[in-house]
Amino acid sequence: MMLKNYNFTKKESRLYMSFMYVTFASLLIGGLMGLLQTLARSGEFQLPFGINYYTILTVHGVILGLVLTTFFIVGFQFALMGKTVGISDKQLKWAWIAFWTMLVGTIMAAVTILVGQANVLYTFYAPLRAHPAFYFGLALVIVGSWIAVFTNFRQLYVWKKANPGQKSPLLAFMVTINMAMWFIASLGVATSVLVQFIPWSLGYAATINVLLSRTLFWYFGHPLVYFWLLPAYMAWYAIIPKIIGGKLFSDSLARLAFILLLLFSIPVGFHHQLTEPGIDPTWKFIQVVLTFMVIIPSLMTAFSIFGTFEVRGRKLGYKGLFGWLRNLPWNDVRFLAPFIGMVAFIPGGAGGIVNASHQMNALIHNTIWVTGHFHLTVATTVILTYFGMAYWLVPHLTGRRLTPKLNKLGIIQTIIWTVGMAIMSTAMHIQGLLGGPRRSAFSNYMGGEQVETWISYQIAQAVGGTILFIGIILMIYIFIQLAFFAPKGVQEFPIAEEEVDAEPTPLILENWYLWIGITIALILFAYTIPVIDIIKHSPPGSIPFDWPIGR
Amino acid sequence: MANKNKKQNQTTPKESEISLKGTFISVMLLGVFILALWFGSYALFLSR
Repeated sequence: MMLKNYNFTKKESRLYMSFMYVTFASLLIGGLMGLLQTLARSGEFQLPFGINYYTILTVHGVILGLVLTTFFIVGFQFALMGKTVGISDKQLKWAWIAFWTMLVGTIMAAVTILVGQANVLYTFYAPLRAHPAFYFGLALVIVGSWIAVFTNFRQLYVWKKANPGQKSPLLAFMVTINMAMWFIASLGVATSVLVQFIPWSLGYAATINVLLSRTLFWYFGHPLVYFWLLPAYMAWYAIIPKIIGGKLFSDSLARLAFILLLLFSIPVGFHHQLTEPGIDPTWKFIQVVLTFMVIIPSLMTAFSIFGTFEVRGRKLGYKGLFGWLRNLPWNDVRFLAPFIGMVAFIPGGAGGIVNASHQMNALIHNTIWVTGHFHLTVATTVILTYFGMAYWLVPHLTGRRLTPKLNKLGIIQTIIWTVGMAIMSTAMHIQGLLGGPRRSAFSNYMGGEQVETWISYQIAQAVGGTILFIGIILMIYIFIQLAFFAPKGVQEFPIAEEEVDAEPTPLILENWYLWIGITIALILFAYTIPVIDIIKHSPPGSIPFDWPIGR
Repeated sequence: MANKNKKQNQTTPKESEISLKGTFISVMLLGVFILALWFGSYALFLSR
């Protein structure tokens, strides 16, 4: 079935581009902080002007992990919705309200961190205390994103009313799943910020229940990583097939994978808290089992991607077991960047399974292995796919073209990123296995045999970090070219279509009451009893700590 | 033109007839990699 795609008006393009400007400004600021961190941790450099290491660490995490990702995702998803189900003037107005609310919140939080009043890292664990403006800023970012959530829901609802009996466009379905997951998950962190952190940081509450705040954070924190990943999956399922000249592998498989990701992304936060005292091991075990369920949709995705490539190659007549790989458009950056992202997800995902396994978590918990892990997943898989999307989305929105020269620069950027990250992330993984800690500033810990094994890896991380920063500068250059200087023209918005003889998609896959009902049931099952335990049996709450880091 | 289309339809196999052996092997190799990393880390855990 052919669905009609909508053309963007200038007003719409301006909205989607506004999200992109914030995304790439964040990349530059956050990336610079990352460079400074790796240099400082090499032990060869000292931060200038007495800048606190934990200030730049917090800026890096908040600006890249929360701001860049959220702005790109919300902007990209608005563009997908606008293209597949359309946007009304009223919805556009709400989308702008979402943008400005998020931006004001971001600026509030960022300024508070930069003036040294919120050295609490992006996880803002209690009892480290930040200035209240930091928490108010975060709350505004979340509220802004909720406005985007309900605007997207409304867009799909209006389209369904106008097209009764038709299944929703695949990309609109995927956006709705991601936003449903984001809304349900962010209720946890919003509760923690509004009920626990803000009164405590203002001095209205003397103490805070640390375990409860961390549990609410990770109730949100794990689905957060899927919130980053699902837009990349949207691209892999529904955009990359078009770029390689193929068709959707299976509409039903894609929808089922997204539903499974919705079900199993939230009731799993305890696998981040496996070393946490105060949580019954039985509930940790149950949540680890639920975590492992996510492997199913992940492998379905891998199968679908390989299948898309093979079907396309076979249709073009390529023979042999892996002959179809030769057909892929290796010199097209819109394909190459996301492809390397897919490859990085193989060690990234496998490492994640190690992290979530209770015993082996003890091996790597709080070591820099974990930092290496999420630099493979979010900072390679996710970000290279986002870059891959930006190469066509930005010129599509600005009425320009991705020229062969910019395409070539993009390929160079992708290679620089891959080399830099391979060096940095591998060094982090190995140092982690040798016990090297994450989060902390440079220290020789007063000497010691084990500590001496770490330093060469920290220098390797500085080399990798420097290469990555060169990649960031190049990416910013390409973005500016695509936004303002590339030749005028028409750049395709690639959306894959179904095969003409595709099997119809079962209607049950779009039964929102059913899937959201199961999601809520699983959350209630996994969290109700342990949270009651935590509230009833926690030790006395903690007073705020502003030292050694904090404010 | 009509003939050309007909010819194309004849030569383009239906999706269900296409061999997905490469996909099957790839996914299996992926599974082997996951298991190797998991058991490798587990061995390290046991040895400590």
